Amino acid sequence: MMDKLKLGVFELTDCGGCALNMLFLYERLFDLLEFYEITEFHMATSLREGNHYDVALVTGTVSTQRDLNLLKEARNHSDYLIALGTCATHGSVQASVELPIREKLKAVYGDEGNPMRALDSKPVVEYVAVDFALPGCPYDKNEVYQVLLDIAKGIEPVKKDYPVCLECKLNEYECVLVKKGLPCLGPITYGGCNAVCVRSGLGCIGCRGPLPGEVNPAGEYEVLRELGYDDEYIIRKFKTFARWEP
Amino acid sequence: MIIETREFTRVEGNGKAEIVIEDGEVKDVRLKIIEGPRFFELLTLGRHYYDVPDLEARICAICYLSHSVASVLGIERAFGVEVPEEIQLIRELGLIGEFLESHSLHLYLLVAPDLFGYPDAIRMATKHGELVKEGLALKSFGNRIRVMVGGREIHGINVKPGGFGRWPLPEELEAVEREADGLLTIARRSVRLFSEIGPYGGKAELFVATDGYLTGESLISNIEKNFHYTERIEERPLVYSFAKQSLYNGRPFLVGSLARLLLKGDSLTPLARRLFEEHREKLETGYVSYNNLAQAIELVYSLERAKEIAKTLLDGGIERENVPVEAREGEGIGYVEAPRGVLIHHYRIDGNGSISYSNIITPTALNHAMMERALLWEARELYGEVPEEEMLGRLEETVRAFDPCISCSVHFAKL
Repeated sequence: MMDKLKLGVFELTDCGGCALNMLFLYERLFDLLEFYEITEFHMATSLREGNHYDVALVTGTVSTQRDLNLLKEARNHSDYLIALGTCATHGSVQASVELPIREKLKAVYGDEGNPMRALDSKPVVEYVAVDFALPGCPYDKNEVYQVLLDIAKGIEPVKKDYPVCLECKLNEYECVLVKKGLPCLGPITYGGCNAVCVRSGLGCIGCRGPLPGEVNPAGEYEVLRELGYDDEYIIRKFKTFARWEP
Repeated sequence: MIIETREFTRVEGNGKAEIVIEDGEVKDVRLKIIEGPRFFELLTLGRHYYDVPDLEARICAICYLSHSVASVLGIERAFGVEVPEEIQLIRELGLIGEFLESHSLHLYLLVAPDLFGYPDAIRMATKHGELVKEGLALKSFGNRIRVMVGGREIHGINVKPGGFGRWPLPEELEAVEREADGLLTIARRSVRLFSEIGPYGGKAELFVATDGYLTGESLISNIEKNFHYTERIEERPLVYSFAKQSLYNGRPFLVGSLARLLLKGDSLTPLARRLFEEHREKLETGYVSYNNLAQAIELVYSLERAKEIAKTLLDGGIERENVPVEAREGEGIGYVEAPRGVLIHHYRIDGNGSISYSNIITPTALNHAMMERALLWEARELYGEVPEEEMLGRLEETVRAFDPCISCSVHFAKL
């Protein structure tokens, strides 16, 4: 029998959702374990036996010196590193607070300086080269399942290259931007979530980050302006999940 | 001398503890929250209220809906908006789904491996597969409710000031009613299983909860009724932790399942109430480890209550009408019982509907001082009596009993 691939899950600073989402695979997690052996995953196991990982999943932003050390360790000991979730790929909400770290710390903790060595939150991709980036706040669990299966079979996983808008149309949801005038970032956001928020009749908040390439953020901007949203509101909305756009 | 634990495993987020030994005795214990700060209150400042609950949901993945609901309640109170009973019930149903998802995650995947001597539930599943499957069945049911009410398993955006984007369909509510009934047997078994956990982690003496079972207008404790957090609870920053500590009249206190049962046991559903009475004497000793048993009893409560709510909504029919919300200057506090305890969202909003002040206190922050006290108690019991490794293992179990959500604990600010 082929040896199982060693899988490590590393959590930097985040809400825990990207690690938790792995557990939400339920029985399919056991299917993945046909191919993988989990050797580091501190939310799920007390066992720590890894010193080399065939695949490392890294979630969260680099927000402390500890995070940075852990990220480098994961990178140095893994063959294939996946930045998992919008924190790791674009910085997500916690990286969108634009003040310098000293001022942020002062506002929250007072004048104690920076004894815990906090850093300004940045995505994993700002610090190390990654082999694959899978955004989403959180990412779609079917997507990570497929990516891990692909890697196990020796296939390079495919990156999505279409906007949420396309998935919305395939589902035949009513366009909330046109019909309700809600601010929806679906036309310029990475697809892959199956337009889950539009399913609720609400606008896409852009949690998977902006889709590069042939999308038209300027056009989206104009549409929102015409709907009566002001500049500051629109710009903050655009930057909420992706201040550190790769 | 300082003994440092490794980073805690099978908890949400990153933390560890230091045991300070002087003259051969345990002098102090420091609980260090090393998860980076996330500055959520700064994030929401100046934002339009409508977008705020979606951002706040991202404080925590395990209990995102508690954050959405607390945020929505704070905003509605600031505007003086009142929602009809059906909206309140659907929100409560969402929170119940979160209890099922969070408690079963904690009990079956994080705590149960300690009971059976395994490093994790995956390895435990080789011998106790049925048990792990039962836990996953509860968890997945809870998550389906979260999808129905919250819009997604994690970080949904469906709960809004004044109502919902998408309303639950009758057939979805029928499924909830039916499945909740079917899962009750599993939850009863859960109570039996987790009642085997012994006393450890020291005794809590002060308990705090919201005045309703899952949401409230104010807080209650075992020494007084109906107060606001601003009157009694003081937060202080620590140099060794990214999470602040909260004290109630200057003393550590406990929030969470055990506190809820002890303060609000009378409002439990019939079967949960019988199970509570059965174990009452034990729970009333206040040992922190009994929080696990209290969570199992709440699994039973959650299923009974989910069934009740689904039935009420189906029998009465749903109007499916959102309440119009108009922004005006105001201040409001939302109190919610997240699975691991009291959650507070406090906002001031200006006339344009933008947030001008925001304060959030999470259950793990409220429990922080109590956690340190429990660790100190446990370390004093065990230091020198058992091998160091065993002591550190037990300390980790003590922290785990609180079901701490470390990620949640690192973003409060007063501005």
